[in-house]
Amino acid sequence: MDVSSWDGTLSLNEFSLAAQAFEEKWKISNSASPPWLWVNAPIRPFVASQKVDGFLSMENICLLRPSEDNGAEVSRLEEEKTSLSEKEEAIDDATLVHSNHHEVHYYDFHIVYSASYRVPVLYFRGYDSDGLPLQLNEIEKDLPACSAKVLLESKWTFITQEEHPYFNRPWYKLHPCGTSEWMKLLFLDEAVLAESKVAIELHLVSWFSVVGQVIGLRVPIEMVNGRIN
Amino acid sequence: MAKQERSGGSILQFSPFQSFVDEGFWHRLSSLKLNKFGIDDSPIAITGFYAPCSHSQVSNHLTLLSESLPCDESEQSSVPAISLGNRNRCSVPGILYNTNTLEAYHALDKKSLLKEEAKKIWEDIHTGKAVEDSAVLLRFLLISFADLKKWSFHYWFAFPALVFDPPVTVVELKPASQWFTSEEADSVSVACNGWRNSSLTAGVPFFLVCIASNSHATIRHLKDWEACQGDGRKVLFGFYDPCHLPNNPGWPLRNFLALICSRWNLKTVHFLCYRENRGFADLGVSLVGEAVITIPQGWRDLQCVPNAVGWELNKGRHISRVINLAKSMDPAMLAISAADLNLKLMRWRAWPSLNLDELSSTKCLLLGAGTLGCQVARMLMAWGVRKITLLDNGRVAMSNPLRQSLYTLDNCLNGGDFKAMAAVKSLKQIFPAVEAEGVVMAIPMPGHPVSSQEEESVLEDCRRLHELVESHDAVFLLTDTRESRWLPALLCANANKITITAALGFDSFLVMRHGSGPLNSSNDVKAESEIALSGDMDSLALADSGGERLGCYFCNDVVAPTDSTANRTLDQQCTVTRPGLAPIASSLAAELFVDILHHPNGIFAGVIADSTNSGGGDQPLGILPHQIRGSLHQFSQMTLVGHASESCTACSSTVITEYRKKGKEFLLPAINHPTYLEDLTGLTELMKSASSFKLDCNNETDDDDDDDDDYVEL
Repeated sequence: MDVSSWDGTLSLNEFSLAAQAFEEKWKISNSASPPWLWVNAPIRPFVASQKVDGFLSMENICLLRPSEDNGAEVSRLEEEKTSLSEKEEAIDDATLVHSNHHEVHYYDFHIVYSASYRVPVLYFRGYDSDGLPLQLNEIEKDLPACSAKVLLESKWTFITQEEHPYFNRPWYKLHPCGTSEWMKLLFLDEAVLAESKVAIELHLVSWFSVVGQVIGLRVPIEMVNGRIN
Repeated sequence: MAKQERSGGSILQFSPFQSFVDEGFWHRLSSLKLNKFGIDDSPIAITGFYAPCSHSQVSNHLTLLSESLPCDESEQSSVPAISLGNRNRCSVPGILYNTNTLEAYHALDKKSLLKEEAKKIWEDIHTGKAVEDSAVLLRFLLISFADLKKWSFHYWFAFPALVFDPPVTVVELKPASQWFTSEEADSVSVACNGWRNSSLTAGVPFFLVCIASNSHATIRHLKDWEACQGDGRKVLFGFYDPCHLPNNPGWPLRNFLALICSRWNLKTVHFLCYRENRGFADLGVSLVGEAVITIPQGWRDLQCVPNAVGWELNKGRHISRVINLAKSMDPAMLAISAADLNLKLMRWRAWPSLNLDELSSTKCLLLGAGTLGCQVARMLMAWGVRKITLLDNGRVAMSNPLRQSLYTLDNCLNGGDFKAMAAVKSLKQIFPAVEAEGVVMAIPMPGHPVSSQEEESVLEDCRRLHELVESHDAVFLLTDTRESRWLPALLCANANKITITAALGFDSFLVMRHGSGPLNSSNDVKAESEIALSGDMDSLALADSGGERLGCYFCNDVVAPTDSTANRTLDQQCTVTRPGLAPIASSLAAELFVDILHHPNGIFAGVIADSTNSGGGDQPLGILPHQIRGSLHQFSQMTLVGHASESCTACSSTVITEYRKKGKEFLLPAINHPTYLEDLTGLTELMKSASSFKLDCNNETDDDDDDDDDYVEL
């Protein structure tokens, strides 16, 4: 593929290849982080099944928050009704009673292929330890300061909420409409990526190096420079 | 909380299981409740998932997902099948009691429900089922009540654990890497990783760790217990431990010990709390301990079910939990959030100065809920306008749904619903968060005289219309006769409100914005200072010199509005226009309105592109036209300017002053007397002097269309 005439997009097959390469490179050079896993897309009725259809998933990323006395928490508790009387033991001597509860936020990230834009899209969601989904302003508080800045100022990034293409629930995503443009710019810069084969393998790595900044996940430099052996 | 290792042992304290319910579970439960279960509240078998701890500071949970609920054959779609080989999801059986009311939820007999589940575990231990399928040791209970109006879910988990009396004591508890020799540790790690990576065993949470005398470790199923006995062999009882604490094992060990002592009669048990890091066995965080059990009396006896504990504490308190998921489940809230994000996307991509707050707070009054009214309302909603009032005195007729996009056949039945009310209902169905109101009222019109009995009610209607105009920010004149636009135009000029008129001919249309009123409205003292500050030439639309103001709909009339409906053919009485015209005109009306809102001079804005406004290329506004005239006859469209006429029957200072001074003594003659308005504004005089030469109207600069200037809306 001639980089100068490339439009910044990739096909579904190319995405699968790129995803595989990304998964492997990540495991090698980013072993401190949880791995990305390829998940095959659930079968949907009425949709012609693609041969290679799936997405990359990194789930259950824990973010410890300093424990705060949260007013909202209190309002969620039931006020009355301890339904077991004193006689009936709720706990016994063998039960450890937790004293300190850190609030933990959990995040799930999916890298999904968008057939209409022909680019990868990052879907994510956050929730607290009760399973309550985090709103966007709460997620923004969890982002490292530099990410929040990138998010606000960059004209390439915009977070929107949409139904996840495979699961019928609302997820946040980085809107893909600018992706092909900045991917093109990114690749034009890299002289080493003149060969078409290499370009595909590194597609997601390069893509993620931009997108990851927004959500505070960094791509180690080894991923971009190293070769799979 | 840590119990030190001392010989003699202290009570072994287990860290309770923590529950976690993914929002998808509640979503699916709601949908099943609505579509399948109805009021049936019999218990439902569900599946929980857990995995060994993988984070040094956070324990893993017993998780419920949407696939925890039973699968319907018909709903294959987004519910992946549970696979045994999923190493991150060990399946655990559970039962759900979901009640129909909050009272029933609180009235559930928790003690006996817990006892019932404990009994099942006890039986599985005695029959040997727990050895074959060890996950049944972790059987759990969930009670819930789903409030599907508020999207609130009350719930409470119990993880039944059989109570040892006296309690189990612990002799020793330390990291596994310290308990094993390094050879053994390596071998155990390898064996565990193998167990975890095999699809046959990855989901089996209880196992035996057999270490031969040569330090070689193997992992075996529980049922191989006898085979593992042998000389020099160490056998540990291993299990997936969700807990991360360095000094306490997790909850699964409780029932495991019950099984061990009851099945194999052991009083001393070496156990391995298996924990991971990054997907691999981590013997530094995994614990090995030695427990000492005093077998309680009666444990031989199947009938004698031990006591059980296990109701989950809520932040240390013994109360139920409740979670509100309206924001992610209530369709109305999802619609709002989606609409907002859509508009923000537009702002981000194309129009950075788009003022969404202004749009959502502007109150729009739509006079007429017909072809124009329906379509303008929809367009405004698409722009994020949330406050819409529709006024119309008619009922939906059988021919209406085709051209009037808010109505369906149902609105036509039984004589037809009132349009204003049907329109409001329809708007709410499209977007529940709209604040829409309907007003069923006729607009008083000049040239349609009223009898003295009707005077009172007509004046009341005038007063009501006056108040509606005053209480809104923008008014759209979308009625189907010329004379019905007169009073609204006057009231808007009086109150200096943004006014947009749309009118249709057979294949031509007019969309225009009225200029500012001739006098300051009593509330609008700001206007003068705004004009003073702005250096814009066009904003010399000053209070009194009507000459530079942009005109209103009536400024170009040379006659006052009269009865245009009498003596017309049937065709003309019906609204017969090319169907494509109304949507085009309505869309232009809405777009023109949005542009006015974003123009710094608002209602006072002139027409010429303002060089001071082009600020940084942000403003895509070019011109802000006064009038847009279009024709489908040639698929053409043009913009025109008309200035205010001092003889205008609706917006001239003469008329407005008279209205303010005389109120009903002005209105009644205007309505009843055919030439009152013409006399008042001097149009009568003008007509007389015009008979000798042809009047030069502003509005026929085009050649193609003869009748586009008399806005023959029928």
